[in-house]
Amino acid sequence: MNLNMNSVESLVAQIQGLSGNIGELTQLRNYLKQCDDLLRTESTRLAPLLTELDPSVHSLGYLYILEACTSATVSKDQANELVLSVARFINVCAADQIRLAPEKFISICKRLKEQVVLLEDPMRGVAPLLTSIRKLQSSTEQLTTLHPDFLLLCLMSKCYKTGLSVLEDDVFEVDQPRDLFLYCYYGGMICIGQKKFRKALELLHNVVTAPMPIISAIAVEAFKKYILVSLIHLGQFATSFPKYTSSAAQRNLKNFSQSYLDLVNSYSTGKVSDVENYVQNNKDKFESDNNLGLVKQVVSSMYKRNIQRLTQTYLTLSLQDIANTVQLNSAKEAEMHVLQMIQEGDIYATINQKDGMVRFLEDPEQYKTCEMIERLDFSIQRIMMLSKKVTTMNEVMSCDPSYLGKVGRERQRFDYDDFDTVPSKFNL
Amino acid sequence: MDFSALNEALAFKSYDKVADICDTLMFQAASEGVSYQEDWPYAIHLIGHIYVNDINSARFLWKKIPLAVKESQPEVSAAWKIGQRLWIKDYASVHEAIREFIWSPQCQGIMAAFSEMYTKKMFELLQSAYSTISIQDTALFLGMSEEDATNYVVQHGWTVDPASRMLTVKKQAVVTEQKLDHSKLQRLTEYVFHLEH
Amino acid sequence: MESEDYASGAVIGEEEIYANGRDESDPQRHRPIISSEQLDIEAYAALYTGRTKTMRLLFIADKCGIPSMELEALRMAYEEIKKGEDTQLFREIIGKINGRLGPNYALDNAWADAVDRRAESRKEKLENELNAYRTNLIKESIRMGYNDFGDFFYAHGRLGEAFKNYIRTRDYCTTSKHISHMCLNAILVSIEMGQFTHVTSYVGKAEQAVDGLDPVTIAKLRCAAGLSHLEGKKYKLAARKFLEVGPELGNNYTEIIAPQDVATYGSLCALASFDRSELKSKVIDNTNFRNFLELVPEIRELINDFYTSHYASCLEYLGNLKTNLLLDIHLHEHVETLYEQIRNKALIQYTLPFVSVDLNMMANAFNTSVTGLEKELEALITNDQIQARIDSHNKILYARHADQRNGTFQRALQTGNEFDRELRSMLLRANLIKHDYNLKGPRKY
Repeated sequence: MNLNMNSVESLVAQIQGLSGNIGELTQLRNYLKQCDDLLRTESTRLAPLLTELDPSVHSLGYLYILEACTSATVSKDQANELVLSVARFINVCAADQIRLAPEKFISICKRLKEQVVLLEDPMRGVAPLLTSIRKLQSSTEQLTTLHPDFLLLCLMSKCYKTGLSVLEDDVFEVDQPRDLFLYCYYGGMICIGQKKFRKALELLHNVVTAPMPIISAIAVEAFKKYILVSLIHLGQFATSFPKYTSSAAQRNLKNFSQSYLDLVNSYSTGKVSDVENYVQNNKDKFESDNNLGLVKQVVSSMYKRNIQRLTQTYLTLSLQDIANTVQLNSAKEAEMHVLQMIQEGDIYATINQKDGMVRFLEDPEQYKTCEMIERLDFSIQRIMMLSKKVTTMNEVMSCDPSYLGKVGRERQRFDYDDFDTVPSKFNL
Repeated sequence: MDFSALNEALAFKSYDKVADICDTLMFQAASEGVSYQEDWPYAIHLIGHIYVNDINSARFLWKKIPLAVKESQPEVSAAWKIGQRLWIKDYASVHEAIREFIWSPQCQGIMAAFSEMYTKKMFELLQSAYSTISIQDTALFLGMSEEDATNYVVQHGWTVDPASRMLTVKKQAVVTEQKLDHSKLQRLTEYVFHLEH
Repeated sequence: MESEDYASGAVIGEEEIYANGRDESDPQRHRPIISSEQLDIEAYAALYTGRTKTMRLLFIADKCGIPSMELEALRMAYEEIKKGEDTQLFREIIGKINGRLGPNYALDNAWADAVDRRAESRKEKLENELNAYRTNLIKESIRMGYNDFGDFFYAHGRLGEAFKNYIRTRDYCTTSKHISHMCLNAILVSIEMGQFTHVTSYVGKAEQAVDGLDPVTIAKLRCAAGLSHLEGKKYKLAARKFLEVGPELGNNYTEIIAPQDVATYGSLCALASFDRSELKSKVIDNTNFRNFLELVPEIRELINDFYTSHYASCLEYLGNLKTNLLLDIHLHEHVETLYEQIRNKALIQYTLPFVSVDLNMMANAFNTSVTGLEKELEALITNDQIQARIDSHNKILYARHADQRNGTFQRALQTGNEFDRELRSMLLRANLIKHDYNLKGPRKY
């Protein structure tokens, strides 16, 4: 017992003494690793030690002790304390130190998330988790296992806008497929909530087309939402999968989403009343999938889609004719739809109330402004950056022993050309 | 709770920052386990979102507000009423929702600014979307009496046809920046050169 | 009313402005339009021989919807069938007549029984003969034996059996003439059975003949191939086949098709599917096909009208011919589609040379209302078949010339965005696959 206490005290001394430079910290980490068992057994008596440490200076040591302290089961009162202490630590800790023990850091963050959910106060975890993602990441391209937890808390606490902040990053490095699946699925839902359909489509597309040996519930739910968002955003849904889609997904996804595919068929007729009937008859199904709201957006998007189609055909058209063609009740309703679409930049048109006519115009964009040049330049820069990434990845992979081992075994089955899909034109 | 940042933004009429400031404060309060709901400035927070046209966030905030608060603070409901009208794109009735409530001193400034901005936005929408429009509709969209509305648009060069009570819209010429930074042009030239060789 | 104005030339001044920029002074086009009269069944039936004559008559009786015409067709079918040996079909016709033609066209049991008895003994005789040939292994005789059986079953309307027996001759064919004979028989039966995949395959087999085919056979095969493409709704291919049919066809294939049909089927398919230059080179300037066209002057006229942009006249001819074309056993199913495509072609061609078109004038030229025309044009514009937009307010169609520069910018940006998205998604997938390789690796973050 005494010996243990001594060890614990010497532990504090070690932490205080070895939190300076990276060499010391590495030494400290090795030391702490050896103490792991001790920390477990002494977990209930460690709390007072924390007061002797400065979480912003002694972050690594503090993290080890805090993790040990919080690993035990807690009562509701204690839970509150736990959340507070973890949140405070996340706020002040030094990023370079906690990255030396990512598993410990992840552990306390997951604990925090679990506790705020149990406390039915998910919003408490939103800011701390966002901070921890930023501290844990070595770059914003890295997807951490905390991403899905953060997004889930955002969804639960209806803080959709905050969720968007991490979704705007380009993510390339993924450690666990499950993290990516959940990140894309929750991310898709957040984008849907904020009506960022393009981004939602991209995220859900990643889930649906990801390599997977067997399909998961996430993939099925993502596919359903993918269909709906595709109808809302693109006005259509291509029923064929891209060729890189896993065979598991190609074989099975459609079987689980027949009502959605039927909706696509109904949508493609362009008749609002047909789609409304179909939705009415299958309301329960969509409701039980929690997709009824989205399905209703599909229905109302049809008016927009049908009016947009008219702009391709007509130069002028009376409001009454528009109302008749797209199945709206009155010319006034048609006018309001057209007005909305003009406001949102979906169409270019002017309404002539005097004659009850709409004149559809061409897109006034002349591609001559500085802004447009900047956009072009930006787009080119991005593609060059991405192409470089692909090339680098290609090189790294072709040197990866485990990859080469696999390819070596399968050499008979593959042609080398199959792997050479890197576009070479964009490497400046 | 320290609302100094919010108060400062309101005092300096930096209304576009209000929503973000409120969001940050709310997360801070939540993560510190502070019970903030009772005296949270929900009305300001809602109007802050509406001011930057983030109706989605206003809507989600409204859903988070405890029922007791909604019932005891009529200003919160009044603020959401504006958001709701914008949500369903009932352009004209937004003015009504602004006018029919007597806003607290704290909200008055931002509300007046929003109202003015909204009127201007509506005018720009009408200007871009219509070639002719009735005086009656114009008044509704701008939230003015027919006479005021007519005066307002005539100042912007629109013309009135008293017989049909119709206004003919004068389009605004769009001025865009055409000058190009030389380095940009240089870079584009390099791309083309690269692609061709 | 409109057509009268049109024919009288009262609106010719405006026509000159709006009709398709061709020479309008040709007086020929003002001749009165001869509307096709009710089908002369007797004359029609005289074009055909064999089973197709009966089948075509029955088809007319079934589809015409005019009692007098129906009875006339049935009467002739009755007389035709009695010349043959198909008692099954005979009984069917009696059923259809249902006593409406008096006692002379009732069930003649004595005749039917006699035919059946004769058939039975004939069949026995054929069986014995064939067995004898087979024991003696005389190749040519076996071939003839099976062939006789094929003929026998065909005459009795047992098409499946007939087909099998004709096919069996294949192993005993010794010359390419035999082969083409076998193929033509198979084709004959297959057409009546509606088995057009067989038709295609036996046309192919026949055409593989090494030492060449005689011109008549070639012409027959072209007809069969044309029918097969027509059936498959491949109108362009059908048109090409019919247009290639040589004059040698004459009246040599009346058990399938009359030369008039070659002209009609070929022309309609060509109008529906050819562009202007192909129409000119392959139809109008085709001296060989011109001979066929002479047999059906109305079709010849409407093709010329179409080519010279006299659409109202062309469409009027088509309208008048429609009732009779619908009574054609092979064309029936395709009339609506072909007409629609021809009409669309005409609409497209009409608009092509113009910057703007007055919809009132155009509606006039197509014998339709402006509202109807708008709907038609809307569909064509939506399908990208006409590059124009409708000014519904002033009823003018304006050609739309897409701005190439803007279009290119737009496409470039769009392609860039797609490429961006695809690359990111690809990098992610690659990462996941990499994970799969390193499954046992520890979690890093």
